[in-house]
Amino acid sequence: MLARSSLRSMRILNGARNGTTAVAKRSISSSGPSIESPMKLNMAAAASTALAIGSVAWYYHLYGPTAHAGSPAEEGLHATKYPWVHEQWFKTFDHQALRRGFQVYREVCMACHSLTRIPYRSLVGTVLTVDEAKAMAEENEYDSEPNDEGEIEKRPGKLSDYIPAPYKNDEAARAANNGALPPDLSLIIKGRHGGCDYVFSLLTGYPDEPPAGAQVGAGLNFNPYFPGTGIAMARVLYDGLVEYEDETPATTSQMAKDVVEFLNWAAEPEMDDRKRMGMKVLAVTSVLFALSVWVKRYKWASLKSRKIVYDPPKVSNKTRN
Amino acid sequence: MGVWDVINDLVEAATPWGIAEAEAPPAEEKAEAKDEGSKSDDAEEEEAEEAEEEEEEEELEDPKEKFEEECRNSKQCAPAKHHFDECVERVTNASDDDEGEKEDCVEEFFHLAHCATQCAAPKLWAVLK
Repeated sequence: MLARSSLRSMRILNGARNGTTAVAKRSISSSGPSIESPMKLNMAAAASTALAIGSVAWYYHLYGPTAHAGSPAEEGLHATKYPWVHEQWFKTFDHQALRRGFQVYREVCMACHSLTRIPYRSLVGTVLTVDEAKAMAEENEYDSEPNDEGEIEKRPGKLSDYIPAPYKNDEAARAANNGALPPDLSLIIKGRHGGCDYVFSLLTGYPDEPPAGAQVGAGLNFNPYFPGTGIAMARVLYDGLVEYEDETPATTSQMAKDVVEFLNWAAEPEMDDRKRMGMKVLAVTSVLFALSVWVKRYKWASLKSRKIVYDPPKVSNKTRN
Repeated sequence: MGVWDVINDLVEAATPWGIAEAEAPPAEEKAEAKDEGSKSDDAEEEEAEEAEEEEEEEELEDPKEKFEEECRNSKQCAPAKHHFDECVERVTNASDDDEGEKEDCVEEFFHLAHCATQCAAPKLWAVLK
């Protein structure tokens, strides 16, 4: 359809062109003596070229460049790409790192940030063993079912309980943190542009002092990666803040890397399974595709290899046999 | 983890007579073993730990900062550093006069930080666990 319509337009164009050339010829032939001088023609060509270039330039000036409303400081420094191992196609989470990261979350981040979408049961087998998870759940109290008098008693936590939040609600969290709400970290890696790189850069990117002339609001800290550069969270990770059970040296960047990997697991606990399933799908579909190609060729073999010969009748009167 | 381990894992997973263990029993054993170990030589370990801690506190140095410092002073980031230093000098001198619009070095700082982190990223990942 498209081809046909374009063909038709081509024809119309041709017709138009023929018409115009015809008209031009006629006008030239009719007004024989007043042939325009090459000087004038050159000027006309130059003027029209200039007009064309000028209009393109004007149009680009008007609509071409994208408008940046914010200054670099308002946009924030774009996080550097780090070569995360678990982001590669054939790699899983490093579960030793997840374990360390969970330790960092528990000892450092948990004071302010909730992780409300992660129940203790999901930590079993990925970060903790059953017994460790149970023991950790039992450290907290949860509301149980109403008793005979209709009162709700407290009971120790079970594996099916969710990790408790540090504050009762958002308002309490704001009130305790100078009006700034510490975001829930369950989906923070998925929820921030730059993902792992952004959170890692944010945690480790606090400079010793803000650059000269930078304005830092009251109660805020300078962090180049945070849009606006003023972040309410102060630097929390310092060398040797936690003591890893596997005796990894707990430097700032090591802790940040571990906790970011843990938070990525919290946001995408299905990643390992997803990648494995992806591999299975690719393997099986490639075999099936190869099979279907073979079957097609097999079935078409007779059609493709046949030869149709037109044997014209001989001109002679003899009948063909 | 070599290729052989992968194949071994696959075979183990596929064989119906393989034994799937819950994680709990080995973990308990481990915990017990740890307890026994810690009871037997508590004093020694404590001393050793204390010594280790002191050493660690002195030794611990963030590789990120080290590499980024190196990168900041490298040839690669020389232009960014040059601009940043110049800006800092200009701004600190200008702030004494207190006239007109105040300039800040955030943008120059961004360019320098971007260059330094980009250069340090692979080195850092080679060191971190």
